[in-house]
Amino acid sequence: MYKPVILPIDWSMIAPVVLVAMVGIIALCIEMARPKKNNNLIVGFTLAGLAVAAIAILVQFDMDSYRIGETLSGMVTRDRFSLTMQLLVVISAFLSVLFSEGYLREKRIPFGEFYPILCWSAVGAMVMVATQNLLMIFLGLEVLSISLYVLAGMSRSENKSEESALKYLLLGAFASGFLLYGIAFLYGGSGSIHLDTIRQSWAVGNSGSHMLLLFGLGLVLIGLGFKSSLVPFHMWTPDVYQGAPTNVTAFMAAGSKIGAIAALWRVLDAMGMMQQYWMPAMFWIAILTMTVGNLIALGQKDVKRVLGYSSIAHAGYILVGILAHVREPMKIGSDTVSYYLLSYALMTIGAFAVITLSARAGKEGTKFGDVQGLWHRAPLAAGSLIVFMASLIGIPPTSGFIGKLLIFKDAMAADLAPLAFVLAVNSIISVYYYLGILRSMFVVDEEGEYVRNSAMNNGLKSACVICMVGIFGAAIFFSPLMQLFGTR
Amino acid sequence: MTGNFGLIWLVIGMPILGFLVQSLLGKRIVGNGGGKRVAGALAVLPIAVSFAIGVYLTMQLAQAAPDQRYVVVHAFDWIKIAGLNIPFEAAIDPLSMMMTLIITGIGSLIHLYATGYMSEEKDYTRFFTYLNLFIAAMLILVLGNNLALMFIGWEGVGLCSYLLIGFWYKDVNNSKAANKAFIVNRIGDWGLTLGMFLLFVVMAANADKLGAGADNRFLSYDVILPNVVTLLKGMPGVTTAIALLLFVGACGKSAQFPLYLWLPDAMAGPTPVSALIHAATMVTSGVFMLNRLHFIFEMSPVASAVIACVGAFTALFAALIAFGQTDIKKVLAYSTVSQLGFMFVACGAGAYWVGMFHVTTHAFFKALLFLGSGAVIHAMAHNQDMRNYGKLAKYLPITCWTMFIGYLAIAGFPFLAGFYSKEAILGYALANDHASIDGVNLGYYAGMVALFAALLTAFYMTRMTLLTFFGNQERWRLIPAAAHHDDHAHDDHGHDHGHAHHEGHDHGPDKHGFFYTDEELAAMPHEHEHHHDLDETHKPHEVPPSMWFPLVVLAILSAVGGFVLANNGLLEHWLYPEGTTLLKLEEHPHHLPGGLSLMGYSLIAALGGILIGAIFYIKGLSAKEGWDESKWNPFRKLARDQFGYDALMVNAAVQGGDDLGLALWKGADAKLVDGPVNGSGWFAGALGKIIGSLQTGFVRMYALVMLVGVVLLLGALGYAISRDGGKSVTGYKVMPPGGPVGGPAVTRSQGGN
Repeated sequence: MYKPVILPIDWSMIAPVVLVAMVGIIALCIEMARPKKNNNLIVGFTLAGLAVAAIAILVQFDMDSYRIGETLSGMVTRDRFSLTMQLLVVISAFLSVLFSEGYLREKRIPFGEFYPILCWSAVGAMVMVATQNLLMIFLGLEVLSISLYVLAGMSRSENKSEESALKYLLLGAFASGFLLYGIAFLYGGSGSIHLDTIRQSWAVGNSGSHMLLLFGLGLVLIGLGFKSSLVPFHMWTPDVYQGAPTNVTAFMAAGSKIGAIAALWRVLDAMGMMQQYWMPAMFWIAILTMTVGNLIALGQKDVKRVLGYSSIAHAGYILVGILAHVREPMKIGSDTVSYYLLSYALMTIGAFAVITLSARAGKEGTKFGDVQGLWHRAPLAAGSLIVFMASLIGIPPTSGFIGKLLIFKDAMAADLAPLAFVLAVNSIISVYYYLGILRSMFVVDEEGEYVRNSAMNNGLKSACVICMVGIFGAAIFFSPLMQLFGTR
Repeated sequence: MTGNFGLIWLVIGMPILGFLVQSLLGKRIVGNGGGKRVAGALAVLPIAVSFAIGVYLTMQLAQAAPDQRYVVVHAFDWIKIAGLNIPFEAAIDPLSMMMTLIITGIGSLIHLYATGYMSEEKDYTRFFTYLNLFIAAMLILVLGNNLALMFIGWEGVGLCSYLLIGFWYKDVNNSKAANKAFIVNRIGDWGLTLGMFLLFVVMAANADKLGAGADNRFLSYDVILPNVVTLLKGMPGVTTAIALLLFVGACGKSAQFPLYLWLPDAMAGPTPVSALIHAATMVTSGVFMLNRLHFIFEMSPVASAVIACVGAFTALFAALIAFGQTDIKKVLAYSTVSQLGFMFVACGAGAYWVGMFHVTTHAFFKALLFLGSGAVIHAMAHNQDMRNYGKLAKYLPITCWTMFIGYLAIAGFPFLAGFYSKEAILGYALANDHASIDGVNLGYYAGMVALFAALLTAFYMTRMTLLTFFGNQERWRLIPAAAHHDDHAHDDHGHDHGHAHHEGHDHGPDKHGFFYTDEELAAMPHEHEHHHDLDETHKPHEVPPSMWFPLVVLAILSAVGGFVLANNGLLEHWLYPEGTTLLKLEEHPHHLPGGLSLMGYSLIAALGGILIGAIFYIKGLSAKEGWDESKWNPFRKLARDQFGYDALMVNAAVQGGDDLGLALWKGADAKLVDGPVNGSGWFAGALGKIIGSLQTGFVRMYALVMLVGVVLLLGALGYAISRDGGKSVTGYKVMPPGGPVGGPAVTRSQGGN
């Protein structure tokens, strides 16, 4: 049985989370004082704080000085995977903050509380990814989600923003119920809420406990599947992505998905012993997720909605990577998933950042027609969008290509050739709608009515450039990166 | 091996830094009062620093024992995947350092020259941005320790060449020339990449035989070179295939027949570019590659024979074409093609160091000649036609006499640089029988053809020099001041039909067939308007010091460089110490037909060519070569048109490719392919619409779909476990074929945790 080992508390393990939480709190205090009647100080402080948190995470990659393991009675885990995921969450938050201020102003919702809430949302995701404790996963998920409910409805005068917040809340609560219920079953079947203990209890269990565990796993998968928008728990994604303010969508698509996928990876990794029971079901979920997202995206007319469906498809690709790992845990590590998430975060946030340009003077139109001719008005943004779309499609020499290649390779190595095939076919389908977005950026239809967009601002410029450089950099320096991510 | 060889990154890094400064800050530097002088200095400085470090590193290298002179400097792992490792490494050895010195040394002189030559250019910093980037790419090409890095450099210099040929892109002819260079080089790259892949296959298939330290670095020279001889032994077919494919790449970059087409057109670029890229450095990278992988070529006599023959034919063919050219830069361009042919004759004969020797001396005198021609062009209001020159020695003394040294050097005048290297080429080609197929010593015939080409070289170079600097008439005095020579907004950057006389802006199509409205004509930038046209009132002036100083340095090098490098076999023993080549070569042919020694023949070729040229052109331009080209003799007309080769290629490849593409599109694509493709697209879209119809926007619907998913998922799990009652305790993969077994529970350890 599980024998608890109380180790001395290693505060460095939770330092990044605490840092980001404190950044949020102090940012809120600054917002109350609101010097100079604008948000510049808050933005600067938040960015600086997130950068410090990123450094606090980066130094821990030095595994000689920072032990791999758990602290706080197994509530917090530190390994390469958790550090990588935390880093990705912080990067996502940083990039989302970077281009937010200009957008919020154009949208006439320059509320300073956006920044602290975003930080806390990131805290939720960081908690989720750095634990093997199911309750901590649940706790992180809720912190992440509740912050996002608030953020999604931040544009109070817009019906669609309110609608998206409410939909997200209702369905999210529905999904959380399943998750919590599943955790209860897992506890019932193993006597623990720690994934490692549950893993061991399967080996010593009997058929009764096995059934409890499998049922619990199914329910947990529903909760996490909702959060990572796996089909058929994906229905909320396009509506919420479309309705929420675009900068919130960017973080939702990147940060929140990273948290959910990381938790999914941990759970499925721990449940690898019983994969003969759940693998067929997850196999089909992966196929559905990849295909449904792409197919529906084909007919969409709204850029944000297309990106919403595309994020569903990408979740499917990542799921293939996870399944490959679970089938061949000794051969295939987490580095593929880490790499893909990094590349996915960069290209998605970059794409949404460019879309924010369509907001102007309180109005925002994200239909294909509304972004027409962006090339003439903001060449840098439109040019970087080419890179993001190329990466989303998976065209070399972008990181999107390498990410897909790695997943493809893993799938073949893990004897999941059908999934690799479906992935390839879906990549081809996706070219159509990604190019559709690009086309509308460059082509002006005959009416030639220029829709005025907001002007570029420095934050947006730097976000575009960072994402672009990151996409190429991750492709060129992929071996050093893979070494950093490690296999676990 | 001691020494600060890590400094090599500084050699590559300085031009990159210069590139960044020029591209990011250049306009600001020029705009903020610093002016073009500062920007120009900032462009020259990095190259000069690189050269200084290069000299230092070469001296370090020279202190090592001859067999120790190969230093690999590792920067980082660039591509490291299972079965292949391509690190980012520099190779420091005599060959790479020699190229480095040529590139940075001559490069810095030409940069200096360009600060003067381009001083009236509006896009001053754009020019130096490209030029610095070119140096960086060229250094990566020669210094990289593996074929992948060489390929990056190879493509990088190609890109810079493209950008610089089309530097004055507003003239559509320049853009076309740039495109031609780029596209023709793709054919070469096709061969180069295939050769690389084939070599990689041979290396990877024998990964276990590569010895310790190979570490899957299949493309690294320090792994290839020691092993390739044993690996390729007994595979003559593969060896020849690799050698010939690589040679196709060399043909593209080094402008050999049949791919030489792009180089004459490349003269559309500014003259410093012609000197640096299209004469001294980039076009020699084919010879460099042959030297780098010389074992492969040494093992294939067939490929060597092909190389020698192609080289000899190119040398002769280009020399003949040079007679029909009236544009001073075109003469030099064909001369470059011809001289590159000489280098390949040497490499084909197996004398690789001689190829590099000629690369070096050619870099000296051809850079000198190009820079000199640039000075002439600069002085003659950017008119490039030699029919407008004559008696310029009076006005441009420094240019004239430095160029005269260059001319004598290329003609093979005794004891100047070209004399030694050409003598060595002919000697090795005639004395050895490496380049033979079926016992036919093609290398010998190549040497004979090259000997004749040497005579022609002296002849046409005499023609160029006499027409430009001497004669009895200042021919531009014949142009009436009122007439306009092509008052278009550019000068005559190297195309033949630039002498159409326009009647002002007459609203007709311009000579490229474009129509412009009044507004467009008014809005057109007239960058070169400050050059007044060349006419009888023109008075040429000697160029500024920044331009003649490089000429003087290069003239000294052209005069003494050959003697210094040939003396006591300095270059030979530096590049290829005893025992580093497979072939044992004779240096001098023992008996030649006619009983004369080779020295006698080459003296006859050089002095005879000069003499014949003097007889023909001492009085200047004859009427038979004047403006009225219908009076030209048939040979000269043919030579002017490259014997119809260019037109044939353009018709066959461009027009033929066009027709073929059209036929494929109409026949195969539209009829056969489009139907299924469009159909599948329609099908996917329709399917998406059907699935998407669930997306009603109602939360209740979404929750329902979720619930259906829940039921299905839990149902699937329940079905799966019900089949064996959940008794299995093992993982999927570890389950034996007979189904679940009892026995000890398998617990998986926590991996790296």
